[in-house]
Amino acid sequence: MNRTRHILHDFQSALESLRADALMMASLTDRNLQNAMSCLLDRNVELCDVTAADENEIDSLEKKIDQEGIDVLLRFQPVASDLRHIVSTMKVSANLERVADQAAKIARRSRKLTMEPELDEAGALGPMFVEAINLFRDSVRSYADEDPALARTLRSRDRAIDQMNHALASVLTARMAVQPERITDYLNLIFIARHLERVGDHAKNIGEDAVYSAQAEDIRHSENSFYASG
Amino acid sequence: MLKTQMPSPDSIKQREDQIMPRSASASDSSPAFQVEHLSIWYGQKKAVSDVTIDIPEKTITAIIGPSGCGKSTFLRCLNRMHELVPRTRVEGKVLFRGEDLYSPRIDPAMVRRRVGMVFQKSNPFPTMSIAQNVLVGLRLNGVHNRRLLNERLERSLQMAALWDEVKDDLEKPGMSLSGGQQQRLCIARAIAVEPEVLLMDEPASALDPLATMKIEELIRHLKKKYTVVIVTHNMQQASRVSDKTAFFYVGELIEYGETRRIFGQPKEKKTEDYITGRFG
Repeated sequence: MNRTRHILHDFQSALESLRADALMMASLTDRNLQNAMSCLLDRNVELCDVTAADENEIDSLEKKIDQEGIDVLLRFQPVASDLRHIVSTMKVSANLERVADQAAKIARRSRKLTMEPELDEAGALGPMFVEAINLFRDSVRSYADEDPALARTLRSRDRAIDQMNHALASVLTARMAVQPERITDYLNLIFIARHLERVGDHAKNIGEDAVYSAQAEDIRHSENSFYASG
Repeated sequence: MLKTQMPSPDSIKQREDQIMPRSASASDSSPAFQVEHLSIWYGQKKAVSDVTIDIPEKTITAIIGPSGCGKSTFLRCLNRMHELVPRTRVEGKVLFRGEDLYSPRIDPAMVRRRVGMVFQKSNPFPTMSIAQNVLVGLRLNGVHNRRLLNERLERSLQMAALWDEVKDDLEKPGMSLSGGQQQRLCIARAIAVEPEVLLMDEPASALDPLATMKIEELIRHLKKKYTVVIVTHNMQQASRVSDKTAFFYVGELIEYGETRRIFGQPKEKKTEDYITGRFG
């Protein structure tokens, strides 16, 4: 972030505190996603429980960021890039909370899967997990570094994750017919893939907020402008 | 120089039209003011430097900038009020509805009649009643028709959103009113002579928040009839009341445009840094 410092120290501190909390929330969410992946692929029961428990900390940070954002709006009446940054941070925080929510849901379903014999198809979710986590990390980077060019690449990558979800759903549905006694487990895998698809959606949203913060351009629901030069 | 006393508002307007034609370019689409390469000096000090700007009709234009940036000087040159300061020199053009305000044939008093001004500190005449304060401009212009004066008194006070508060106390001293009411009284006095433009130099800076909100509401209301140019240090006020905003810095016009854009996405880094409080 290459912003000039504000001459009001209190305002500067409030902006920095808001940003620090958002980055902390992003870091915790990232850890939760990784833990959720480990729950599924390594069948790590302990991490399943940790991931579900950590969600509370992220929920608290979301509320703290909302409160801080409203306080800054009330106290300093920011304008221009400061206003955009605060509004975007509050929206990013809501998306981070939803990503963490998806991670907790994945952990809960993975925990159920650990109670049953391992399914070979669980490993097929590995590449999707990696894509979703990378997409999420780039979305956070585009926000933290105010990098709209990076943010504008996220939508196409989100679409790639959507396609992986569709492909996996087809494969897993076909497997249900072959192994009807494991329908519940296959359904859990299908839902995990859907949760990862939602992670991609939220990462894309964070990228849209990053573009708005940096360039005052609202690219939501605008297919063409998203691919405009960054 | 005009010396004639005029018996009625209609004849005032007829005389004004001879001097500064009203109908020629008074449509809402053409600018009220076209300022071209305007520079202003106080002695050796250059206060405004090469400013070119169009101010549209029936809009509220806010002028913002740090202290000493030339915004009040610029405002005052729009009705030649700055000429009251000794050793002032002006270069460039200020066209009011196409007419050069600085042409030798233009009477500065007439300019100020048509381009009224409200100052930072409310300044009702201390020995006059509320009614006398409102009507003093008309009386000085030779209007003595009681029915006409009464009509104008009520209309001006209503437009200034003060009528309901003072209609039963019109003979009380103007100074008996609160600060916010006094400022609205001054606005009523300014609009009683039916100017076409109102210049406001920090009109609410000495008022409490409620009185400020009333003045801002009044300014937005006045836009229906008048072109308003307001100098303000309060950027929230500029963003609340104005349609267009001009940012001045060290005598130069740095950026001018729609207020929503200036406060949402300024193009110039200096504007961004000033409005976000990174200098000033």
